[in-house]
Amino acid sequence: MTVAFQPLHPVFVAEVSGIDLTRAPDPGTVAAIEAAIARYAVLVFRDQRLDDDTQRTFSRCFGPLEAATGGHVTAVQDRRLPLDMQDASNLDRDHAVLDRYDRKRMFNLGNRLWHSDSSYRPTPALYSLLSGRTVVEQGGHTEFADMRAAYDALDDTTKLDITDLVCEHSLLFSRGLLGFTDLSDSEKSLFAPVRQPLVRTHPATGRQSLFLSAHAGTIVGWPVPEARAFLRDLTEHATQKPFTYSHKWRRHDLVMWDNRTTMHRVTRFDETLVRDMRRTTVAGP
Amino acid sequence: MALNIRPVHPVFAGEVTGIDICQPLSRDQVAAIEAGMDRYAVLTFPDQPLTDDQQVVFSANFGELEIPLAAQMAKPEARRFDKLELGDISNFDGKTDNLRARNDSRRMYALANRLWHSDASFRAVGAGYTLLHSRIVPSKGGNTEFADMRAAYDALDDATKAEVENLTTEHSIVFSREQIGFEVKSDDASNVRPVKHPLVVTHPVTGRKSLYLSSHIGGIVGWPVPEARAFIRDLTEHATQPRFVYSHKWRVNEMVMWDNRMVMHRATRFNDLKEQRDLRRTSIKGVGLAVEDATAMAAE
Repeated sequence: MTVAFQPLHPVFVAEVSGIDLTRAPDPGTVAAIEAAIARYAVLVFRDQRLDDDTQRTFSRCFGPLEAATGGHVTAVQDRRLPLDMQDASNLDRDHAVLDRYDRKRMFNLGNRLWHSDSSYRPTPALYSLLSGRTVVEQGGHTEFADMRAAYDALDDTTKLDITDLVCEHSLLFSRGLLGFTDLSDSEKSLFAPVRQPLVRTHPATGRQSLFLSAHAGTIVGWPVPEARAFLRDLTEHATQKPFTYSHKWRRHDLVMWDNRTTMHRVTRFDETLVRDMRRTTVAGP
Repeated sequence: MALNIRPVHPVFAGEVTGIDICQPLSRDQVAAIEAGMDRYAVLTFPDQPLTDDQQVVFSANFGELEIPLAAQMAKPEARRFDKLELGDISNFDGKTDNLRARNDSRRMYALANRLWHSDASFRAVGAGYTLLHSRIVPSKGGNTEFADMRAAYDALDDATKAEVENLTTEHSIVFSREQIGFEVKSDDASNVRPVKHPLVVTHPVTGRKSLYLSSHIGGIVGWPVPEARAFIRDLTEHATQPRFVYSHKWRVNEMVMWDNRMVMHRATRFNDLKEQRDLRRTSIKGVGLAVEDATAMAAE
Protein backbone atom coordinates (compact mmCIF):
# COMPACT_ATOMS: atom_id res chain seq x y z
CA MET A 1 0.00 0.00 0.00
CA THR A 2 1.52 3.30 -1.07
CA VAL A 3 0.38 6.57 0.42
CA ALA A 4 -0.98 8.91 -2.25
CA PHE A 5 -2.33 12.48 -2.26
CA GLN A 6 -5.19 13.66 -4.46
CA PRO A 7 -5.86 17.43 -4.57
CA LEU A 8 -9.45 18.42 -3.65
CA HIS A 9 -9.22 22.16 -4.38
CA PRO A 10 -7.38 24.42 -6.84
CA VAL A 11 -5.08 26.02 -4.24
CA PHE A 12 -4.82 23.62 -1.25
CA VAL A 13 -6.29 20.50 0.42
CA ALA A 14 -5.63 16.88 -0.58
CA GLU A 15 -7.23 13.55 0.19
CA VAL A 16 -4.84 10.89 1.41
CA SER A 17 -5.23 7.27 0.36
CA GLY A 18 -3.24 4.07 0.88
CA ILE A 19 -2.84 4.40 4.62
CA ASP A 20 -4.41 2.83 7.72
CA LEU A 21 -4.08 5.27 10.61
CA THR A 22 -4.88 2.65 13.22
CA ARG A 23 -1.37 1.25 12.65
CA ALA A 24 1.64 3.35 13.55
CA PRO A 25 3.09 4.72 10.30
CA ASP A 26 6.77 4.14 9.44
CA PRO A 27 9.14 7.15 9.34
CA GLY A 28 8.98 7.33 5.55
CA THR A 29 5.20 7.67 5.65
CA VAL A 30 5.40 10.32 8.38
CA ALA A 31 7.87 12.27 6.23
CA ALA A 32 5.58 11.96 3.21
CA ILE A 33 2.64 13.30 5.23
CA GLU A 34 4.73 16.19 6.55
CA ALA A 35 5.83 17.07 3.04
CA ALA A 36 2.25 16.86 1.79
CA ILE A 37 0.81 19.05 4.56
CA ALA A 38 3.54 21.63 3.92
CA ARG A 39 2.22 21.75 0.37
CA TYR A 40 -1.54 21.21 0.79
CA ALA A 41 -2.04 22.65 4.32
CA VAL A 42 -5.14 20.44 4.83
CA LEU A 43 -5.19 16.63 4.50
CA VAL A 44 -8.34 14.52 4.50
CA PHE A 45 -8.17 10.86 5.54
CA ARG A 46 -11.38 8.91 4.88
CA ASP A 47 -12.66 5.75 6.61
CA GLN A 48 -10.22 5.72 9.51
CA ARG A 49 -11.79 3.90 12.46
CA LEU A 50 -9.85 5.73 15.12
CA ASP A 51 -10.40 5.64 18.85
CA ASP A 52 -8.75 8.06 21.27
CA ASP A 53 -5.65 5.88 21.62
CA THR A 54 -4.99 5.40 17.93
CA GLN A 55 -5.70 9.09 17.26
CA ARG A 56 -3.14 10.05 19.92
CA THR A 57 -0.55 7.61 18.63
CA PHE A 58 -0.85 8.86 15.07
CA SER A 59 -0.84 12.52 16.17
CA ARG A 60 2.32 12.10 18.29
CA CYS A 61 4.24 11.12 15.16
CA PHE A 62 4.30 14.85 14.40
CA GLY A 63 5.30 16.20 17.81
CA PRO A 64 4.16 16.57 21.41
CA LEU A 65 0.45 17.12 21.98
CA GLU A 66 -0.97 20.31 23.40
CA ALA A 67 -3.00 20.05 26.61
CA ALA A 68 -6.44 21.69 26.56
CA THR A 69 -5.69 23.57 29.79
CA GLY A 70 -6.54 27.25 29.71
CA GLY A 71 -8.41 27.12 26.42
CA HIS A 72 -11.98 26.79 27.66
CA VAL A 73 -14.52 27.74 30.31
CA THR A 74 -15.03 24.04 31.15
CA ALA A 75 -13.39 23.07 34.46
CA VAL A 76 -11.10 20.04 34.34
CA GLN A 77 -13.47 17.93 36.46
CA ASP A 78 -16.35 18.70 34.07
CA ARG A 79 -14.50 17.53 30.97
CA ARG A 80 -15.87 14.68 28.89
CA LEU A 81 -12.49 13.78 27.40
CA PRO A 82 -8.91 13.55 28.73
CA LEU A 83 -6.86 16.74 28.67
CA ASP A 84 -4.92 15.85 25.52
CA MET A 85 -8.16 15.33 23.56
CA GLN A 86 -9.89 18.63 22.71
CA ASP A 87 -13.64 18.21 22.81
CA ALA A 88 -15.14 19.73 19.68
CA SER A 89 -18.52 18.11 20.32
CA ASN A 90 -21.81 19.58 21.52
CA LEU A 91 -21.91 17.14 24.46
CA ASP A 92 -21.54 17.43 28.22
CA ARG A 93 -19.61 15.13 30.58
CA ASP A 94 -22.45 12.60 30.49
CA HIS A 95 -22.50 12.58 26.68
CA ALA A 96 -25.81 14.44 26.58
CA VAL A 97 -26.39 17.32 24.16
CA LEU A 98 -25.66 20.69 25.78
CA ASP A 99 -28.62 22.85 26.70
CA ARG A 100 -29.25 25.83 24.42
CA TYR A 101 -28.17 28.31 27.11
CA ASP A 102 -25.27 26.22 28.49
CA ARG A 103 -22.16 28.37 29.03
CA LYS A 104 -19.99 25.77 27.32
CA ARG A 105 -22.21 25.97 24.26
CA MET A 106 -22.10 29.78 24.29
CA PHE A 107 -18.32 29.55 24.41
CA ASN A 108 -18.15 26.90 21.67
CA LEU A 109 -20.16 29.12 19.32
CA GLY A 110 -16.93 31.08 18.91
CA ASN A 111 -15.80 28.24 16.63
CA ARG A 112 -18.21 29.57 14.01
CA LEU A 113 -15.74 32.44 13.52
CA TRP A 114 -12.66 32.00 11.31
CA HIS A 115 -9.69 31.21 13.52
CA SER A 116 -6.35 29.52 13.83
CA ASP A 117 -6.21 27.05 16.73
CA SER A 118 -4.58 28.26 19.94
CA SER A 119 -3.43 31.52 18.40
CA TYR A 120 -4.21 32.89 21.89
CA ARG A 121 -1.39 30.77 23.36
CA PRO A 122 2.21 31.98 23.49
CA THR A 123 3.02 28.87 21.48
CA PRO A 124 0.17 28.48 19.02
CA ALA A 125 -0.92 25.16 17.52
CA LEU A 126 1.05 23.58 14.72
CA TYR A 127 -1.17 20.76 13.44
CA SER A 128 -4.73 20.00 14.45
CA LEU A 129 -6.21 16.55 13.82
CA LEU A 130 -9.98 16.33 13.99
CA SER A 131 -11.74 12.99 14.02
CA GLY A 132 -15.42 12.69 13.15
CA ARG A 133 -16.87 10.06 15.51
CA THR A 134 -20.53 11.02 15.14
CA VAL A 135 -21.33 13.48 12.38
CA VAL A 136 -24.48 15.33 11.37
CA GLU A 137 -26.14 15.03 7.97
CA GLN A 138 -26.75 18.73 7.40
CA GLY A 139 -24.35 21.54 8.17
CA GLY A 140 -21.56 21.22 10.72
CA HIS A 141 -19.00 21.45 7.92
CA THR A 142 -15.47 22.52 8.70
CA GLU A 143 -14.38 25.26 6.33
CA PHE A 144 -10.75 26.07 5.65
CA ALA A 145 -9.10 29.13 4.15
CA ASP A 146 -5.58 29.19 2.70
CA MET A 147 -3.63 32.01 4.35
CA ARG A 148 -0.72 31.67 1.87
CA ALA A 149 -2.98 32.23 -1.13
CA ALA A 150 -4.60 35.09 0.80
CA TYR A 151 -1.21 36.66 1.46
CA ASP A 152 -0.06 36.24 -2.14
CA ALA A 153 -3.22 37.97 -3.40
CA LEU A 154 -2.66 41.15 -1.36
CA ASP A 155 -1.51 44.17 -3.33
CA ASP A 156 2.07 45.29 -2.82
CA THR A 157 1.12 48.32 -0.71
CA THR A 158 -0.82 46.19 1.74
CA LYS A 159 1.98 43.62 1.91
CA LEU A 160 4.34 46.44 2.80
CA ASP A 161 1.88 47.97 5.30
CA ILE A 162 1.48 44.76 7.27
CA THR A 163 4.96 43.32 7.13
CA ASP A 164 5.98 44.26 10.68
CA LEU A 165 2.58 44.41 12.37
CA VAL A 166 2.03 42.52 15.60
CA CYS A 167 -1.43 41.52 16.84
CA GLU A 168 -2.74 40.67 20.28
CA HIS A 169 -4.76 37.45 20.46
CA SER A 170 -7.08 36.36 23.24
CA LEU A 171 -10.15 34.22 23.77
CA LEU A 172 -11.64 37.39 25.28
CA PHE A 173 -11.64 38.97 21.81
CA SER A 174 -13.18 36.07 19.87
CA ARG A 175 -15.85 35.47 22.51
CA GLY A 176 -16.45 39.19 22.90
CA LEU A 177 -17.33 39.38 19.19
CA LEU A 178 -20.34 37.18 19.88
CA GLY A 179 -21.27 39.02 23.06
CA PHE A 180 -20.08 36.25 25.37
CA THR A 181 -18.60 38.23 28.23
CA ASP A 182 -19.88 36.15 31.12
CA LEU A 183 -16.40 35.32 32.44
CA SER A 184 -15.00 35.04 35.95
CA ASP A 185 -11.90 36.98 37.01
CA SER A 186 -9.82 33.80 36.93
CA GLU A 187 -11.02 33.03 33.39
CA LYS A 188 -10.21 36.57 32.34
CA SER A 189 -6.68 36.29 33.68
CA LEU A 190 -6.32 32.87 32.01
CA PHE A 191 -7.25 34.49 28.71
CA ALA A 192 -4.69 37.32 28.91
CA PRO A 193 -3.70 38.47 25.39
CA VAL A 194 -0.52 37.21 23.69
CA ARG A 195 1.33 38.80 20.78
CA GLN A 196 1.71 37.20 17.36
CA PRO A 197 3.12 38.57 14.09
CA LEU A 198 0.52 39.27 11.40
CA VAL A 199 2.70 37.72 8.71
CA ARG A 200 4.60 34.51 9.21
CA THR A 201 6.87 32.39 7.08
CA HIS A 202 6.51 28.63 6.86
CA PRO A 203 9.81 27.03 7.91
CA ALA A 204 9.64 24.21 5.34
CA THR A 205 8.36 26.03 2.26
CA GLY A 206 9.47 29.60 2.98
CA ARG A 207 6.02 30.80 1.92
CA GLN A 208 4.53 33.74 3.74
CA SER A 209 1.02 33.63 5.15
CA LEU A 210 -1.40 35.87 7.00
CA PHE A 211 -1.66 34.99 10.69
CA LEU A 212 -5.27 35.98 11.20
CA SER A 213 -7.74 34.64 13.73
CA ALA A 214 -10.96 35.68 15.44
CA HIS A 215 -8.79 35.77 18.58
CA ALA A 216 -6.86 38.75 17.17
CA GLY A 217 -8.36 41.86 18.75
CA THR A 218 -5.75 44.59 18.47
CA ILE A 219 -2.69 45.63 16.50
CA VAL A 220 0.14 46.89 18.69
CA GLY A 221 0.40 50.68 18.36
CA TRP A 222 -2.95 51.12 16.61
CA PRO A 223 -6.21 52.53 18.00
CA VAL A 224 -8.44 49.52 18.72
CA PRO A 225 -11.33 50.42 16.34
CA GLU A 226 -8.91 51.03 13.48
CA ALA A 227 -7.19 47.70 14.15
CA ARG A 228 -10.47 45.80 14.32
CA ALA A 229 -11.81 47.34 11.13
CA PHE A 230 -8.56 46.52 9.34
CA LEU A 231 -8.45 42.94 10.67
CA ARG A 232 -12.04 42.47 9.48
CA ASP A 233 -11.08 43.71 6.01
CA LEU A 234 -8.10 41.36 5.90
CA THR A 235 -10.22 38.44 7.12
CA GLU A 236 -12.83 39.14 4.47
CA HIS A 237 -10.12 39.21 1.83
CA ALA A 238 -8.52 36.04 3.18
CA THR A 239 -11.72 34.01 3.34
CA GLN A 240 -13.16 34.80 -0.06
CA LYS A 241 -14.45 31.80 -1.98
CA PRO A 242 -11.38 31.08 -4.15
CA PHE A 243 -9.30 30.53 -0.99
CA THR A 244 -11.76 28.32 0.93
CA TYR A 245 -12.65 24.64 1.04
CA SER A 246 -15.71 23.32 2.86
CA HIS A 247 -15.34 19.83 4.31
CA LYS A 248 -18.57 17.88 4.55
CA TRP A 249 -17.96 15.27 7.22
CA ARG A 250 -18.46 11.56 6.89
CA ARG A 251 -18.17 9.31 9.90
CA HIS A 252 -14.56 8.16 10.46
CA ASP A 253 -13.00 11.06 8.60
CA LEU A 254 -9.82 12.46 10.06
CA VAL A 255 -8.87 15.92 8.86
CA MET A 256 -5.43 17.26 9.64
CA TRP A 257 -4.43 20.88 9.03
CA ASP A 258 -1.52 23.19 9.51
CA ASN A 259 -2.61 26.16 11.65
CA ARG A 260 0.34 28.18 10.40
CA THR A 261 -1.07 28.34 6.89
CA THR A 262 -4.85 28.10 7.35
CA MET A 263 -7.84 29.40 9.24
CA HIS A 264 -10.94 27.30 9.78
CA ARG A 265 -14.44 27.47 11.24
CA VAL A 266 -17.45 25.23 11.76
CA THR A 267 -20.74 25.96 10.03
CA ARG A 268 -24.14 25.98 11.69
CA PHE A 269 -26.02 22.74 12.32
CA ASP A 270 -29.00 21.50 14.30
CA GLU A 271 -27.52 21.38 17.77
CA THR A 272 -30.24 19.13 19.15
CA LEU A 273 -28.40 16.36 17.24
CA VAL A 274 -25.22 14.70 18.50
CA ARG A 275 -22.02 15.81 16.78
CA ASP A 276 -18.99 14.17 18.37
CA MET A 277 -15.69 15.48 17.06
CA ARG A 278 -12.39 14.95 18.86
CA ARG A 279 -9.26 16.93 18.24
CA THR A 280 -5.67 16.27 19.01
CA THR A 281 -3.33 19.21 18.63
CA VAL A 282 0.37 19.16 17.93
CA ALA A 283 1.94 22.12 19.66
CA GLY A 284 3.95 24.61 17.60
CA PRO A 285 5.97 26.54 16.69
CA MET B 1 -34.01 66.52 -21.39
CA ALA B 2 -35.55 63.18 -20.43
CA LEU B 3 -34.58 61.36 -17.27
CA ASN B 4 -32.66 58.20 -18.08
CA ILE B 5 -31.52 55.38 -15.78
CA ARG B 6 -28.68 53.11 -16.86
CA PRO B 7 -28.17 49.92 -14.79
CA VAL B 8 -24.64 49.72 -13.36
CA HIS B 9 -24.90 46.23 -11.82
CA PRO B 10 -26.69 42.97 -12.78
CA VAL B 11 -29.18 43.00 -9.87
CA PHE B 12 -29.59 46.63 -8.75
CA ALA B 13 -28.16 50.19 -8.84
CA GLY B 14 -28.59 52.64 -11.70
CA GLU B 15 -27.01 55.87 -12.91
CA VAL B 16 -29.38 58.74 -13.57
CA THR B 17 -28.80 61.32 -16.28
CA GLY B 18 -31.01 63.84 -18.04
CA ILE B 19 -31.94 65.78 -14.92
CA ASP B 20 -30.55 68.79 -13.05
CA ILE B 21 -31.20 68.14 -9.37
CA CYS B 22 -29.82 71.54 -8.35
CA GLN B 23 -33.09 72.97 -9.68
CA PRO B 24 -36.55 72.46 -8.16
CA LEU B 25 -38.09 69.25 -9.51
CA SER B 26 -41.45 68.72 -11.13
CA ARG B 27 -43.87 66.23 -9.64
CA ASP B 28 -43.20 63.90 -12.57
CA GLN B 29 -39.47 64.03 -12.01
CA VAL B 30 -39.92 63.14 -8.32
CA ALA B 31 -42.22 60.27 -9.30
CA ALA B 32 -39.70 59.02 -11.86
CA ILE B 33 -36.91 59.04 -9.28
CA GLU B 34 -39.10 57.23 -6.75
CA ALA B 35 -40.02 54.61 -9.33
CA GLY B 36 -36.33 54.24 -10.13
CA MET B 37 -35.55 53.80 -6.43
CA ASP B 38 -38.21 51.11 -6.08
CA ARG B 39 -36.58 49.19 -8.88
CA TYR B 40 -32.84 49.90 -8.45
CA ALA B 41 -32.63 50.62 -4.67
CA VAL B 42 -29.49 52.71 -5.38
CA LEU B 43 -29.34 55.64 -7.80
CA THR B 44 -26.30 57.72 -8.64
CA PHE B 45 -26.49 61.23 -10.13
CA PRO B 46 -23.13 62.29 -11.61
CA ASP B 47 -22.10 65.91 -12.18
CA GLN B 48 -24.52 67.58 -9.77
CA PRO B 49 -22.72 70.48 -8.04
CA LEU B 50 -25.23 70.91 -5.21
CA THR B 51 -24.91 73.41 -2.39
CA ASP B 52 -25.96 72.38 1.13
CA ASP B 53 -29.26 74.23 0.69
CA GLN B 54 -29.90 72.59 -2.66
CA GLN B 55 -29.19 69.16 -1.16
CA VAL B 56 -31.75 69.79 1.57
CA VAL B 57 -34.32 71.03 -0.96
CA PHE B 58 -33.75 68.05 -3.27
CA SER B 59 -33.95 65.59 -0.34
CA ALA B 60 -37.19 67.09 0.99
CA ASN B 61 -38.94 65.93 -2.19
CA PHE B 62 -38.89 62.43 -0.74
CA GLY B 63 -40.17 62.97 2.80
CA GLU B 64 -39.30 64.32 6.23
CA LEU B 65 -35.59 64.77 6.94
CA GLU B 66 -33.93 63.09 9.92
CA ILE B 67 -31.52 64.70 12.36
CA PRO B 68 -28.44 62.42 12.52
CA LEU B 69 -27.64 60.84 15.89
CA ALA B 70 -24.04 62.11 15.76
CA ALA B 71 -25.34 65.68 15.34
CA GLN B 72 -27.77 65.18 18.21
CA MET B 73 -25.02 63.96 20.48
CA ALA B 74 -22.38 66.53 19.44
CA LYS B 75 -21.97 69.88 21.18
CA PRO B 76 -23.12 72.75 18.91
CA GLU B 77 -19.63 74.27 18.66
CA ALA B 78 -18.21 70.89 17.53
CA ARG B 79 -20.61 70.60 14.60
CA ARG B 80 -19.29 71.43 11.17
CA PHE B 81 -22.60 72.55 9.70
CA ASP B 82 -25.26 74.80 11.16
CA LYS B 83 -28.01 72.81 9.49
CA LEU B 84 -28.81 69.99 11.88
CA GLU B 85 -30.22 67.77 9.17
CA LEU B 86 -26.94 67.80 7.24
CA GLY B 87 -24.78 64.87 8.31
CA ASP B 88 -21.01 65.33 8.27
CA ILE B 89 -19.43 62.33 6.55
CA SER B 90 -15.95 63.76 6.39
CA ASN B 91 -12.63 63.30 8.13
CA PHE B 92 -12.28 66.98 9.05
CA ASP B 93 -11.72 68.18 12.59
CA GLY B 94 -14.93 70.15 13.18
CA LYS B 95 -15.02 73.52 11.43
CA THR B 96 -11.29 73.51 10.68
CA ASP B 97 -9.44 72.39 7.56
CA ASN B 98 -7.38 69.95 9.63
CA LEU B 99 -7.88 66.23 9.40
CA ARG B 100 -8.96 64.34 12.49
CA ALA B 101 -6.12 62.92 14.55
CA ARG B 102 -5.62 59.17 14.61
CA ASN B 103 -7.15 58.78 18.07
CA ASP B 104 -9.95 61.33 17.62
CA SER B 105 -13.13 59.85 19.10
CA ARG B 106 -15.22 61.06 16.13
CA ARG B 107 -12.86 59.09 13.89
CA MET B 108 -13.28 56.00 16.10
CA TYR B 109 -17.06 56.40 15.99
CA ALA B 110 -17.04 56.79 12.19
CA LEU B 111 -14.81 53.74 11.67
CA ALA B 112 -17.88 51.61 12.35
CA ASN B 113 -19.17 52.80 8.97
CA ARG B 114 -16.73 50.25 7.57
CA LEU B 115 -19.21 47.58 8.79
CA TRP B 116 -22.25 46.68 6.67
CA HIS B 117 -25.26 48.55 7.99
CA SER B 118 -28.60 50.09 7.25
CA ASP B 119 -28.77 53.74 8.30
CA ALA B 120 -30.52 54.55 11.58
CA SER B 121 -31.72 50.97 12.07
CA PHE B 122 -31.07 51.71 15.75
CA ARG B 123 -34.13 53.99 15.74
CA ALA B 124 -37.71 52.81 16.22
CA VAL B 125 -38.24 53.85 12.60
CA GLY B 126 -35.05 53.40 10.55
CA ALA B 127 -34.08 55.63 7.64
CA GLY B 128 -35.90 55.33 4.33
CA TYR B 129 -33.67 57.00 1.75
CA THR B 130 -30.19 58.26 2.48
CA LEU B 131 -28.69 60.86 0.15
CA LEU B 132 -24.95 61.33 0.08
CA HIS B 133 -23.23 64.09 -1.89
CA SER B 134 -19.51 64.20 -2.62
CA ARG B 135 -17.52 67.45 -2.27
CA ILE B 136 -13.98 66.07 -1.91
CA VAL B 137 -12.99 62.48 -2.63
CA PRO B 138 -9.70 60.67 -1.94
CA SER B 139 -7.50 59.42 -4.78
CA LYS B 140 -7.82 55.80 -3.68
CA GLY B 141 -10.35 53.83 -1.59
CA GLY B 142 -13.19 55.44 0.37
CA ASN B 143 -15.73 53.73 -1.87
CA THR B 144 -19.28 53.20 -0.70
CA GLU B 145 -20.36 49.60 -1.20
CA PHE B 146 -23.97 48.50 -1.43
CA ALA B 147 -25.54 45.07 -1.03
CA ASP B 148 -29.02 44.22 -2.32
CA MET B 149 -31.03 42.73 0.54
CA ARG B 150 -33.87 41.70 -1.78
CA ALA B 151 -31.57 39.56 -3.91
CA ALA B 152 -30.02 38.23 -0.69
CA TYR B 153 -33.45 37.27 0.64
CA ASP B 154 -34.47 35.64 -2.63
CA ALA B 155 -31.29 33.53 -2.64
CA LEU B 156 -31.93 32.00 0.81
CA ASP B 157 -32.99 28.36 0.79
CA ASP B 158 -36.59 27.64 1.76
CA ALA B 159 -35.72 26.33 5.23
CA THR B 160 -33.83 29.53 6.07
CA LYS B 161 -36.63 31.70 4.65
CA ALA B 162 -39.08 29.93 6.95
CA GLU B 163 -36.71 30.29 9.90
CA VAL B 164 -36.12 34.03 9.50
CA GLU B 165 -39.71 34.91 8.62
CA ASN B 166 -40.88 35.80 12.12
CA LEU B 167 -37.64 36.67 13.86
CA THR B 168 -37.29 40.02 15.60
CA THR B 169 -33.88 41.62 16.00
CA GLU B 170 -32.56 44.19 18.50
CA HIS B 171 -30.60 47.16 17.17
CA SER B 172 -28.52 49.78 18.96
CA ILE B 173 -25.67 52.11 18.01
CA VAL B 174 -23.86 50.50 20.97
CA PHE B 175 -23.75 47.10 19.25
CA SER B 176 -22.10 48.27 16.02
CA ARG B 177 -19.47 50.31 17.87
CA GLU B 178 -18.83 47.48 20.33
CA GLN B 179 -17.81 45.22 17.45
CA ILE B 180 -14.81 47.39 16.75
CA GLY B 181 -14.08 47.97 20.43
CA PHE B 182 -15.49 51.49 20.73
CA GLU B 183 -17.70 52.34 23.68
CA VAL B 184 -20.54 54.75 22.91
CA LYS B 185 -21.20 57.22 25.69
CA SER B 186 -24.46 59.10 25.63
CA ASP B 187 -26.06 61.35 28.24
CA ASP B 188 -29.45 60.40 26.86
CA ALA B 189 -30.26 56.70 27.40
CA SER B 190 -32.94 56.82 24.71
CA ASN B 191 -30.19 57.22 22.09
CA VAL B 192 -28.68 53.85 22.91
CA ARG B 193 -31.59 51.74 24.13
CA PRO B 194 -32.07 48.78 21.75
CA VAL B 195 -35.07 48.91 19.40
CA LYS B 196 -36.78 45.98 17.75
CA HIS B 197 -37.26 45.35 14.05
CA PRO B 198 -38.41 42.37 12.03
CA LEU B 199 -35.58 40.53 10.29
CA VAL B 200 -37.63 40.28 7.12
CA VAL B 201 -39.36 43.37 5.80
CA THR B 202 -41.69 43.85 2.87
CA HIS B 203 -41.30 46.91 0.70
CA PRO B 204 -44.50 48.99 0.86
CA VAL B 205 -44.59 49.69 -2.88
CA THR B 206 -43.01 46.71 -4.62
CA GLY B 207 -44.12 44.06 -2.13
CA ARG B 208 -40.66 42.47 -2.36
CA LYS B 209 -39.20 40.97 0.77
CA SER B 210 -35.73 41.82 1.95
CA LEU B 211 -33.42 41.00 4.84
CA TYR B 212 -33.30 43.89 7.28
CA LEU B 213 -29.73 43.35 8.43
CA SER B 214 -27.36 45.86 10.00
CA SER B 215 -24.21 45.93 12.10
CA HIS B 216 -26.40 47.66 14.70
CA ILE B 217 -28.02 44.28 15.44
CA GLY B 218 -26.92 42.78 18.76
CA GLY B 219 -29.54 40.13 19.40
CA ILE B 220 -32.57 38.17 18.25
CA VAL B 221 -35.56 38.16 20.59
CA GLY B 222 -35.77 34.78 22.36
CA TRP B 223 -32.28 33.64 21.35
CA PRO B 224 -29.09 33.41 23.41
CA VAL B 225 -26.91 36.37 22.39
CA PRO B 226 -23.89 34.43 21.00
CA GLU B 227 -26.17 32.19 18.92
CA ALA B 228 -27.99 35.25 17.57
CA ARG B 229 -24.76 37.04 16.69
CA ALA B 230 -23.27 33.98 14.98
CA PHE B 231 -26.44 33.59 12.91
CA ILE B 232 -26.58 37.28 12.00
CA ARG B 233 -22.93 37.05 10.90
CA ASP B 234 -23.77 34.07 8.69
CA LEU B 235 -26.72 35.91 7.16
CA THR B 236 -24.63 39.03 6.63
CA GLU B 237 -21.92 37.01 4.92
CA HIS B 238 -24.53 35.45 2.66
CA ALA B 239 -26.15 38.82 1.96
CA THR B 240 -22.93 40.62 1.08
CA GLN B 241 -21.34 38.09 -1.27
CA PRO B 242 -19.85 39.70 -4.37
CA ARG B 243 -22.78 38.97 -6.69
CA PHE B 244 -25.10 41.12 -4.53
CA VAL B 245 -22.61 43.97 -4.08
CA TYR B 246 -22.03 47.17 -6.04
CA SER B 247 -18.95 49.18 -5.10
CA HIS B 248 -19.30 52.88 -5.87
CA LYS B 249 -16.10 54.74 -6.62
CA TRP B 250 -16.79 58.41 -5.95
CA ARG B 251 -16.21 61.35 -8.23
CA VAL B 252 -16.67 64.92 -7.03
CA ASN B 253 -20.19 66.37 -7.17
CA GLU B 254 -22.03 63.11 -7.27
CA MET B 255 -25.27 62.47 -5.46
CA VAL B 256 -25.93 58.87 -4.49
CA MET B 257 -29.22 57.91 -2.90
CA TRP B 258 -30.29 54.53 -1.60
CA ASP B 259 -33.21 52.90 0.13
CA ASN B 260 -32.16 51.56 3.53
CA ARG B 261 -35.12 49.21 3.50
CA MET B 262 -33.59 47.33 0.56
CA VAL B 263 -29.82 47.68 0.83
CA MET B 264 -27.00 47.67 3.33
CA HIS B 265 -23.91 49.75 2.71
CA ARG B 266 -20.45 50.43 4.08
CA ALA B 267 -17.42 52.62 3.44
CA THR B 268 -14.11 51.12 2.40
CA ARG B 269 -10.75 52.06 3.85
CA PHE B 270 -8.75 55.04 2.57
CA ASN B 271 -5.76 56.98 3.79
CA ASP B 272 -7.84 59.18 6.08
CA LEU B 273 -4.89 60.56 8.02
CA LYS B 274 -3.41 62.07 4.84
CA GLU B 275 -6.23 62.54 2.33
CA GLN B 276 -9.43 64.59 2.56
CA ARG B 277 -12.86 63.09 2.03
CA ASP B 278 -15.90 65.30 2.40
CA LEU B 279 -19.36 63.81 1.87
CA ARG B 280 -22.61 65.33 3.13
CA ARG B 281 -25.56 63.25 4.07
CA THR B 282 -29.28 63.78 4.33
CA SER B 283 -31.69 61.04 5.39
CA ILE B 284 -35.41 60.60 4.98
CA LYS B 285 -37.43 59.02 7.77
CA GLY B 286 -38.55 55.54 6.80
CA VAL B 287 -42.25 54.94 6.36
CA GLY B 288 -44.39 52.00 5.42
CA LEU B 289 -42.40 49.25 7.09
CA ALA B 290 -44.15 46.75 9.32
CA VAL B 291 -42.08 47.80 12.34
CA GLU B 292 -43.08 47.00 15.93
CA ASP B 293 -45.83 49.11 17.28
CA ALA B 294 -44.10 52.26 18.51
CA THR B 295 -46.47 52.82 21.43
CA ALA B 296 -45.87 49.32 22.75
CA MET B 297 -42.15 49.98 22.61
CA ALA B 298 -42.39 53.28 24.40
CA ALA B 299 -44.28 51.54 27.21
CA GLU B 300 -41.50 49.02 27.84
